[in-house]
Amino acid sequence: MATQSITSATSATTAQHRPHPNRLVGSAATYIILAVLAILWVIPLLWALDTALKHESETTLVPISWFAPSGFTLNAFIETLSSSDLPRWYFNSLLTSAVITILTVLFASLAGFAFSRIPFRSKGFFFWLILAGIMVPGQILIVPLFTMMQSLGMVNTYWGIILPQLASPVAMFIFKQYFDGIPQELEDAAVMDGASRLRIYWQIWMPLAKPAIAAVAIFTFVWSWNNFIWPFLVITGTNMMTVPVGLATVQTSYGIRYAQIMATAILGGLPLLIIFIFFQRQIVQGFVGTGLKG
Amino acid sequence: MSDTSIQQSIVQRGSRAEEVSTQRPSRFSPRWRNEAVGVGFVLPLLIVYVLFLLWPIVLGLRMSFFNWSLVGSGSGNFLGLANYQEALSDPNFWGALGNTLIFTVMSTPILVILSLFLAILVNRVRHVRWLFRIAFFAPYILPVSVMALIWSWLYEPGFGLLDGTFAQLGLPSVNWLTDTHVAMLSIVIATVWWTLGFDFVLYLAGLQQIPHEMYEAASLDGAGAWAKVWHITIPLLQRSTILIIILQVIASLQVFGQMYLLTGGGPNFTTRSVVEYIYDTGFTDFRVGYASAMSYLVFIVILVISVGQFWILSRQGRND
Amino acid sequence: MSQHELADIYMSMIGRRQFLKYAAMSGVGGLLAGSLAACGVTPFGSGPQTLVYWNLFGGGDGVRMITMQNDFQKANPNVDLRATTLAWGAPYYTKLAMAALGDSPPNVAIMHMSRMPTYADGGLLEPIDLNLLAQNGVTENDFLPAVWQRAIYNGTVYAIPLDTHPFVMYYNTDICKKAGLLDASGNLKPLQGTAALIDAFQRTQKVTGYLGLAVDTQDVTPWRMFYAMYNQLGGDILSPDGKSFVVNEAHAQQVLSFMRDLTQTYKVASPTIDYGGAVAAFASGKAGFFWQGEWEVTTFEGVIPFSMVPFPNVFGNLKTQADSHSFVIPHSSDPSQASNPLAYQFISFLLKDSLVWAKGGHIPAYLPVATSAAYKALKPQSNYAIDAQEAVLDPYAWFSGSGSDLENQAGAAFQQVLSGGMTPTQSLAQFKKSIQNFLNMPIPLPRPIE
Repeated sequence: MATQSITSATSATTAQHRPHPNRLVGSAATYIILAVLAILWVIPLLWALDTALKHESETTLVPISWFAPSGFTLNAFIETLSSSDLPRWYFNSLLTSAVITILTVLFASLAGFAFSRIPFRSKGFFFWLILAGIMVPGQILIVPLFTMMQSLGMVNTYWGIILPQLASPVAMFIFKQYFDGIPQELEDAAVMDGASRLRIYWQIWMPLAKPAIAAVAIFTFVWSWNNFIWPFLVITGTNMMTVPVGLATVQTSYGIRYAQIMATAILGGLPLLIIFIFFQRQIVQGFVGTGLKG
Repeated sequence: MSDTSIQQSIVQRGSRAEEVSTQRPSRFSPRWRNEAVGVGFVLPLLIVYVLFLLWPIVLGLRMSFFNWSLVGSGSGNFLGLANYQEALSDPNFWGALGNTLIFTVMSTPILVILSLFLAILVNRVRHVRWLFRIAFFAPYILPVSVMALIWSWLYEPGFGLLDGTFAQLGLPSVNWLTDTHVAMLSIVIATVWWTLGFDFVLYLAGLQQIPHEMYEAASLDGAGAWAKVWHITIPLLQRSTILIIILQVIASLQVFGQMYLLTGGGPNFTTRSVVEYIYDTGFTDFRVGYASAMSYLVFIVILVISVGQFWILSRQGRND
Repeated sequence: MSQHELADIYMSMIGRRQFLKYAAMSGVGGLLAGSLAACGVTPFGSGPQTLVYWNLFGGGDGVRMITMQNDFQKANPNVDLRATTLAWGAPYYTKLAMAALGDSPPNVAIMHMSRMPTYADGGLLEPIDLNLLAQNGVTENDFLPAVWQRAIYNGTVYAIPLDTHPFVMYYNTDICKKAGLLDASGNLKPLQGTAALIDAFQRTQKVTGYLGLAVDTQDVTPWRMFYAMYNQLGGDILSPDGKSFVVNEAHAQQVLSFMRDLTQTYKVASPTIDYGGAVAAFASGKAGFFWQGEWEVTTFEGVIPFSMVPFPNVFGNLKTQADSHSFVIPHSSDPSQASNPLAYQFISFLLKDSLVWAKGGHIPAYLPVATSAAYKALKPQSNYAIDAQEAVLDPYAWFSGSGSDLENQAGAAFQQVLSGGMTPTQSLAQFKKSIQNFLNMPIPLPRPIE
């Protein structure tokens, strides 16, 4: 009897995303534990921010303190923004990530659509060929990939950063899965009007694929922005660096200036953090939907 | 990649689509035209895929047989299997591989268990859930360089947050990143902070799939909170757990950024991961031929581990 | 999560038009900028008067380098100097090599002279344009022959030395006075031979109650220490072509035994202290003597009363280990790179301004500065000026040079002698084994044209 009620209830509750807990027992303990852990998790960022807001000489005081004897200041941030290449790195990251995202969505959706909706003999072969790429660990390719880029003359160029990051079997798979789930009838109507496949793709299927587009776009944008090892290898000029590479490579020449270093770190992580806070749910769903780590 | 539910659903849907199309042949253009269009749609992705994923694999294999230098022109001398022989007897290579495995074994259980624990707790609260989600997931959004800068500062001897707090509590100072016994642990701690968010949200999504009624039924049967977690939550999260473990292990085996930025592989190479050793050999020592050979060996190791894992864990999944 | 749920979520979140609009905007903008960049037109372009310069100086050296850069900028306001500092050691050198390979190197860069042959062999450096250099008022005659020779490889000049930075000895004048080691004018009486040194260290140890000599036993310092004394005895580590291990074992044993004496037999030095610890010990008066490169001079100024002398005559002469910071022109396929007038303007200006650099402890390579009264008045920096001539740079091999594998392997092996973990024989065997390992590897450089 218990199982019967469960299975019938299952279909009703799968549409719900927030089961309502009806027990208050232990919820106080839950909140406390969570609060403690959440605070622990946030402390590193807070400490970084705290350091960045101090005067340089007060960052190394012992015993350590969250308070700054001379008060807080924005000096470190101003210094970083005005004298470092960070603004340039923002631009490079934005440019490369935007192009990677657009092209990935485009290429992957085209292929996913074809695999899902166009009957052609070599479909199976190409599909499995591309899907097999998921098994290839990306970091292992860096040596031959760099050698290739060197001979193509694409080291230290935007396309050198962008092109290797476009080969995403995962994105293709997501689109294919998604298109598979859309009923055939919608296409039938358009085809009877004599529309070409390309038009069907662009005018009917892509608009319907919003969720998949969003998932892939978000995942790809964040992942390509944070991608470290490939841009680190292929970029050699400081004016071409993306944010993660710049932060890792260029040292402050003035000796160790912790406030400035922390300001740089915070500014480096800020764009994505801001996007995250506003689009929290979409980003989380994007990652969950793809289920794959960068 | 056999016997997975993903594959099964693909096959199902694929055959369904084929079925549909053959039922209405007059509607479609001749076969060759479909072929052309189909391949045309796939072509952009295919081109970048072949050029930047398949071709490097082939090129890497070729490079591994030569004394290929980063600064030479051309391939250098043909060495046959010498690079592979050298790698297999290279203590640095095995050391780096060992470090990578240690890192994987240290970080995976912590990440899986802690993220599950947090997800279960967060799933129970109704209010301010979004606040907890931000707190635990936000670090994952940061690039590795930001994480490394922050944690280098936290680990700074003397006036870093950790040492400073220890001093105030009367605890002895720890050389977090320069003591060979502690350095790897320090990297694991920083990694857990950084990447737990991902596993956490995967679990959270999985938890929200579990029908509330199951817990109610168990309560009626007199089950306590712990029993419910053990007998309902964890078994029903099996798919998520399997996915998380597999992803975690594959990512850990390829770790590079944290090591390179936090310790540079030190102290005394005790935290040098295998990808970092490949980088050192190929780009600092200019020996890209040798580095390619090692890359291939690591590729095989990762492939074996991930396929093996997949097989074991999915079998377990089907048996239960 | 099923697709239907995913669809539900998204359709409720972002309006389709919203998303497509943003996507379009960033897409168009991105593609536009991308294609511009691919054509070589970038919004942050660099003009013909730009000079890109890389170095690896942090800390006090970094401050002094910036001072000199600013001096240059003031004197040459029409030049747009773009200086970048990268992390010291392998990260810097790796990036420099890859920049040259990627055809986008800086116009001028700092390089340790010990690394120069490897980079020259790798085709990563342009020969120095001696004419351009002369036009800016600098010639070979402005350097000591010993110093200038280091910049020549296979008959070609590939670098211009800025300084020599040797391994030297610091001493606390107060402590040494109490130990009776100073002469009438307050300078250290010359110490010669192992016995005299041990005696001096023991005396100062009695005064401090802690250490007689503070010296780093980790990283590459054990190598520097070893190499300084080994060269005093005479002999090479590697054959001139960098292909064979030719260490004079007897001499090596002698040096390593003395090193062991310091930490194990007579215990005048700590067997496990690291770089920072050694600096701190000397800076807090817990050691009478300190062995390290001269660059720590500003760490102690105003903190303790101290002076410096060349590394002591342990085995018959004043030879010591050193390296030399120099300017190089990285290779590029752009033909203007090899004879960039701005680069030579910059180099010659910095040479003439190198008194600033000397304050950090380095011996200026440019003779007009090194022989000037102002430099001679710099105490204690000018005390060891003789080391410009007496210094020996690391042996040549593709895996050798500042911060290289050779230094790291040597440091690791010799550290064991200092810590008591190995006998000199065992340590030497480990060193030989690790170096032979590298020698057995196929050389990853195109061979120079013989």
